[in-house]
Amino acid sequence: MRRACKPPVMGREAAPTSLAVQQDLPLVGAAVGAATGREAQQRPQGRQEISTRGKSRPMAAPTVAPVEKLWFCVWLPHLPLESVGAAIGRDTGSQPMAAPTAVVEEQHGIHRILLADAEARAAGVMPGQAANAALALLPALELEERSLLREQQALEGLATWLERFSSFVSIADHNVLLLEIAGSLCLFDGLQALRQEISRGLRELGFTAMPAIAPTPLAATWLARSGRRACIRDETNLVPALRKLSIACLNWPAALCEALTGMGVTTVGDCLRLPREGFTRRFGAEYLLALDRALGHLPDPRNSWRSPERFCADYEMTEEQVDREVLLNICNELLQSHEQFLLARQTGTQRLCFSFFHLKGPATELRLGCAQAERSASRWFELLGIRFEQLVLPEPVIAVRLRSGMAQALQAESGTLSFHGKPGAQQQRFSITQLAERLIARIGDQSVQATSMVAEHRPHYAWRSQSLLSDWSSNTLDEPAQYLQRPLWMLPEPALLPADSGCPIHQGCRLRFIDGPERLETGWWDEDGISRDYYTAAGQDGRRLWVFRNRNRTSSWYLHGYFG
Amino acid sequence: MASSSRYAELHALSNFTFLRGASHPEELVETAAKLGYEALAITDECSMSGIVRAHAVAKEAGLKKLIIGSELRLRSGRKLVALARNQNGYTSLCRLITTARRAAEKGSYELTRLAFEDGLPDCLVLWIPDQDYTLDVEDHWIRETFRDRLWIAVELLADGRQREQLARLREEGRRLKLPLVASGDVHMHCRARRILQDTVTAIRHGTTIDNAGFALYPNGERHLRSLDVLQRIYPADLLEESVRIADAIDFSLDELRYEYPNEIIPEGETSATYLRKLTEAGMRRRWPQGVSHKVAKLIEHELALIADLKYEPYFLTVYDIVAFARSQDILCQGRGSAANSAVCFCLGITEVDPARMEMLVERFISKERDEPPDIDVDFEHERREEVIQYIYAKYGRERAALAATVITYRPRSALRDVGKVLGLSDLQVGRLSRSMQWWDGHKVDDSRILEAGLAPDSPIIKRLLYLVGELIGFPRHLSQHVGGFVISDAPLHELVPVENATMPDRTVIQWEKNDLEDLGLLKVDVLGLGMLTAIRRSFDLIRGFDGREYTLATVPAEDPVVYDMICAGDTMGVFQIESRAQMTMLPRLRPRCYYDLVIEVAIIRPGPIQGDMVHPYLRRRNGEEAVDYPSEEVKGVLQRTLGVPIFQEQVMQLAVVAAGFTPGEADRLRRAMAAWKRRGGLGPFEEKLINGMRERGYDEGFARQIFQQILGFGEYGFPESHSASFALLVYVSSWLKCHEPAAFTCALLNSQPMGFYSASQLVQDAQRHDVSIRPVDINHSDWDCSLEADESGAATLRLGLRLVKGLSEEAGQRIVSERAAGEYTQAQALLERAGLVKRELGVLASSGALQPLSGDRHRARWAVAGAEKPMPLFPNIARYEATPLLQKPTEGQNIVADYRSTGLTLERHPICLLRRHLDRYRYVQAQQLPVLGDGHKVNVAGLVITKQRPGTASGVIFVTLEDETGQINLVLWKQIAEQYRAALLNARLLGVAGELQIEGQVIHVVARQLFDHSDLLGDLSVQSRDFR
Repeated sequence: MRRACKPPVMGREAAPTSLAVQQDLPLVGAAVGAATGREAQQRPQGRQEISTRGKSRPMAAPTVAPVEKLWFCVWLPHLPLESVGAAIGRDTGSQPMAAPTAVVEEQHGIHRILLADAEARAAGVMPGQAANAALALLPALELEERSLLREQQALEGLATWLERFSSFVSIADHNVLLLEIAGSLCLFDGLQALRQEISRGLRELGFTAMPAIAPTPLAATWLARSGRRACIRDETNLVPALRKLSIACLNWPAALCEALTGMGVTTVGDCLRLPREGFTRRFGAEYLLALDRALGHLPDPRNSWRSPERFCADYEMTEEQVDREVLLNICNELLQSHEQFLLARQTGTQRLCFSFFHLKGPATELRLGCAQAERSASRWFELLGIRFEQLVLPEPVIAVRLRSGMAQALQAESGTLSFHGKPGAQQQRFSITQLAERLIARIGDQSVQATSMVAEHRPHYAWRSQSLLSDWSSNTLDEPAQYLQRPLWMLPEPALLPADSGCPIHQGCRLRFIDGPERLETGWWDEDGISRDYYTAAGQDGRRLWVFRNRNRTSSWYLHGYFG
Repeated sequence: MASSSRYAELHALSNFTFLRGASHPEELVETAAKLGYEALAITDECSMSGIVRAHAVAKEAGLKKLIIGSELRLRSGRKLVALARNQNGYTSLCRLITTARRAAEKGSYELTRLAFEDGLPDCLVLWIPDQDYTLDVEDHWIRETFRDRLWIAVELLADGRQREQLARLREEGRRLKLPLVASGDVHMHCRARRILQDTVTAIRHGTTIDNAGFALYPNGERHLRSLDVLQRIYPADLLEESVRIADAIDFSLDELRYEYPNEIIPEGETSATYLRKLTEAGMRRRWPQGVSHKVAKLIEHELALIADLKYEPYFLTVYDIVAFARSQDILCQGRGSAANSAVCFCLGITEVDPARMEMLVERFISKERDEPPDIDVDFEHERREEVIQYIYAKYGRERAALAATVITYRPRSALRDVGKVLGLSDLQVGRLSRSMQWWDGHKVDDSRILEAGLAPDSPIIKRLLYLVGELIGFPRHLSQHVGGFVISDAPLHELVPVENATMPDRTVIQWEKNDLEDLGLLKVDVLGLGMLTAIRRSFDLIRGFDGREYTLATVPAEDPVVYDMICAGDTMGVFQIESRAQMTMLPRLRPRCYYDLVIEVAIIRPGPIQGDMVHPYLRRRNGEEAVDYPSEEVKGVLQRTLGVPIFQEQVMQLAVVAAGFTPGEADRLRRAMAAWKRRGGLGPFEEKLINGMRERGYDEGFARQIFQQILGFGEYGFPESHSASFALLVYVSSWLKCHEPAAFTCALLNSQPMGFYSASQLVQDAQRHDVSIRPVDINHSDWDCSLEADESGAATLRLGLRLVKGLSEEAGQRIVSERAAGEYTQAQALLERAGLVKRELGVLASSGALQPLSGDRHRARWAVAGAEKPMPLFPNIARYEATPLLQKPTEGQNIVADYRSTGLTLERHPICLLRRHLDRYRYVQAQQLPVLGDGHKVNVAGLVITKQRPGTASGVIFVTLEDETGQINLVLWKQIAEQYRAALLNARLLGVAGELQIEGQVIHVVARQLFDHSDLLGDLSVQSRDFR
């Protein structure tokens, strides 16, 4: 499987003036200024009224609305395929697809081809084919499972990218983007130049796009789907252009298209010739309204796309500062506005990065992590406090910047663990996650590990440790086998024991077997299968040991753990 | 060191405890015998499915004692093993299993204390402790129920706490005053199977192997351990106790006595007198003018033979079923070893007149061969259910049930399940399963694995292939046999457990067909056959049209005109001989009489083709090769097929006369033949056969040739006894096609889906035979296709509403019944009178059936889309609306719509419309081909109607094209098929450049190049029927 594509990098933040801009900041990959969120544009356009028309009047009324807007539609017919190669932002040398590729989708339990690239099509692979049939044609065919998420991400990436051409970009469908370009024309040297630039950009990003330009968003979409690359600026030309379109371009439900085709109605023009009332009665008003919208007889408001937001705020000081208390207060202030930012969006984040800028040297960074998405300023401040003590600042600080990681949904708090301090002292209660965070903040990410039980017969696989900051929800705890007797203290590696005529010796004395053997023959499915007989044995001091020897050869004895 | 200890394994699961046991019952039995166990109990979980197999090999393997039992888990979690001490115990166990299985969904069971109300008499019970070695829950009940028949099972399986376990159970035994016994919780016959056992466990839990965790056993101890090992593990008294239990058991499946049902015999009669009475009545009916001396003698001979073998009740049971079918006017025809006897002809079980062919009943039933008689009865496929319900009603569900079919792992299913367990993705498994075509039982070509994008050397692939190889042949679940009924005098569940089938109100027994044969149980196959439906419908249509009456027996026999038609290969729609392979063979074989048809039916099958029997037979029949026999005995066997063994019976007879087999051995050979591919070879039979023939003076070459032919037969050998019955249906359907084409086509259309050809091809074929066809019409069509008289009174075929896709039968019948009140005049009327919904009106409009109401399809669709249910308050309010100007459909649009709605068109053939385009490529019509000479280079084009890749023809693909004048048979050599696989796979309209091959009346085009012209067809949907 290929790597899922990333949304395009859209750095738009400005570095604090007169400061050295630090190098890359992988923590906040695509930071966009906090203030870049725009309000949704919902400006209705065109006339507001639906004219009541005579019973037998044809549907298209020859009224012309004044042109206010011009819509540029980008239809991406090959998006499922092209989103596979992570084509956007391909500056890091992701190689072009080597093998012929097709995207498959499961229908009724059978994988069928959804789209195939040119090489595969040349070999006879075509949409609708069963994956196995396609493989029969082209054994080297690379099959990718369709991912709607991947497509959505690619589409959002493109929407963000297109924002450079228009202040109004809209995701109209799962593979259609719309730009309102009337306002952009003068900025980009006219329509022709704009069109070329967009087309070239899309091509370079690796997307096949069918563009079309029309005065209404729906007309632009339909024209784009027809693949004719139409450019209609004038509403008077709109009706003739639309008339010729096959109803297949309208993306109406298959049953409706089939019904229309069954009546010999195959183009938009045919539709427009039908009596309005009869049409509504048979197929519903919805589609009549769609025709009206496409023709500009009805307004067609759209939602604007908003690129994802991250918090980024700077605090500039009038003079260099060395007082750590002051710096901490500045940080707190930033955290307060960060909390406000997240509060407004009902989200939290798991990671933060403070940058302390100096006049000369590179900025000093301090990263914080949290086990769960968090927005509380006091909580973050607490974590900051622990780390800040150890932070070495090589120079005085002139500015502080706070950037946050990806916004995440907040999670409910889990149970708490009680710690007993000195007798008489007030009991403090921490949740497990709080404890983990505080520990990590103090001794580092690598030093704090979570341990979980794994349902495995092989003793060395029966425990698993992992970073606490990884996603907990993906781990399920298998129920442990209660009846198994396992030592509490397992050695990381079994230790070889000397033996005397077949009997193992520990600390100079022969071991006495208490029970056993416990025979473990398992794990054949990976490269670490075992075949051992384990015994519970007692040493001279009464300590109980867990020892084993391998079954299939004359094996030595090994010590693997100590009971309680 | 020879062991002095003795042991009987009392707790062993075979792989009939599906996805738990990891060894075949046969493997367990053989291993237990080899290890010198005193006894082995097969105790599959709540099942008796595997025991007949174990029983069948136990004697041969030398197992001292086979014990029959079952592991039972109560709802409370208690686990018991019950062992049948004697026949009564076996019966009570079967009853218990039946209760438990019937109380739950298919494949599971539900067992509570209530089921043990009778105390499970005559069963010995092992009490299996749980993982904590405790027994206390419910112990009072268990002890009270089983008292002195109860043991505590001690299963020491190296879990590290054996000492603790033994001590604790000893203590429990003392406390509860119960004896302890050693047992093994055996899941496999040898330790090496633990890998497969882990795998099936993961399959059962629906997880991958590395996530299966504690669902897997920690080790492979659950196998049949050697006596030495057992002696080291268990105290001697526990081992000895197992033998003591085994000694207390005295039961074998051989003791089961099966009784035929006896209510079919009227009071005052014995089965023998009643059978004689019925036979004599049948003689008078069959031969009103009196019976010839020869036939009378034959019947006497058969009756004596039947009496000798005590088979009367069997014949009477089948007679009863057939008599019921006849009383309900359901057409049926018996076949099988006993069916083609004069007695069966008299009883009406078969319609094959013994005078019509030289039937020797010994050919089918033999005194020496220890096998139950076999009669399969085919019924009209749509009415078979009535017969089944009759059987249930007559004998009750207690005494009649369907036999099971054990569904086993095949390469593909094994690969799918093992692949998933090893963590491969669906797509990877899908890719690999294509490679399974090359699975030869041990490995798959590396290149195929590479092609699937996987590394053949990778450990996971090696594991996968190993496990797949092991898993193939493992039973997976029980399904119901297509129609094998077991009927017994006593309740069946005393003989074998009965469980629920998938279909509601169906029950199956836990044994399959072979098990029944092994135990000599009566079985009647009640099968469905589409052609019988079509023939009965043809008879009905003829009677309804002009009153002429026909039955299977009264269709004029041996009509030379019918044979002329058959010889010309003009057999589309005819039973059995309509496939392309048959059609091309007919002009060569030139059947001229009934027995020729018997051979024809049997010879064009994979068995004889692989055994290379077709060509020698053809050459001999055409006099191109001398017919000679190595001996008089062989001549006796092979004379009727010109020295070439064609039927399964001949092979068995050859083994008897030429190799000195006893009839019983010959029968075992037959069964081995069916399984040799799975088991890998015929084993001891090969040597015995060849040596036997050599000893009797046949030369090595002949012996080897016969052996090869037997191998070739494999699973596909076709018995003469079945062929003889089928041949009658071949003849009758041919006669109907020849003399009553309208009725025959009509009946075939009404019986679809069946046979090789689609409705479109059947209609075109009828048109070519001058049958006129009328379209679906809302005011004339019935639900079924029907016959109408034309101006001259001749029969024409009116297509029925059943052809309209998307119209339910119920709606169709309403249309027809409402029409009695007067024809429909507008679409609205259909909605109001026939109560159709809009969607149904839509499909009718698309089919063109509304032509008389609304004009063309486009206008009909507009009209029906606007039709609305009348408003209750204003029922008669008229709605005026503007009429749109809709374009008239073109001919092409009509054809496309015809195909889409009814799968056929009565307009011109679509190729007609495209001929202008096709002419550019100089494509020749099908009808012009015979005029051109053999070897001529031709271009042809047509709709792809069938694609066939017979397993027997080494990669050759047969494709049939259809143009406006007929069909074109293509031959594609493997290399061409590979080269043009895109066109072959995708094309609906295929163009071909090739070479003409004409051999008598058989015409092929050998393809050299293929071109996909599907784009010319637009939306036309042609369904190709693909056969493998």
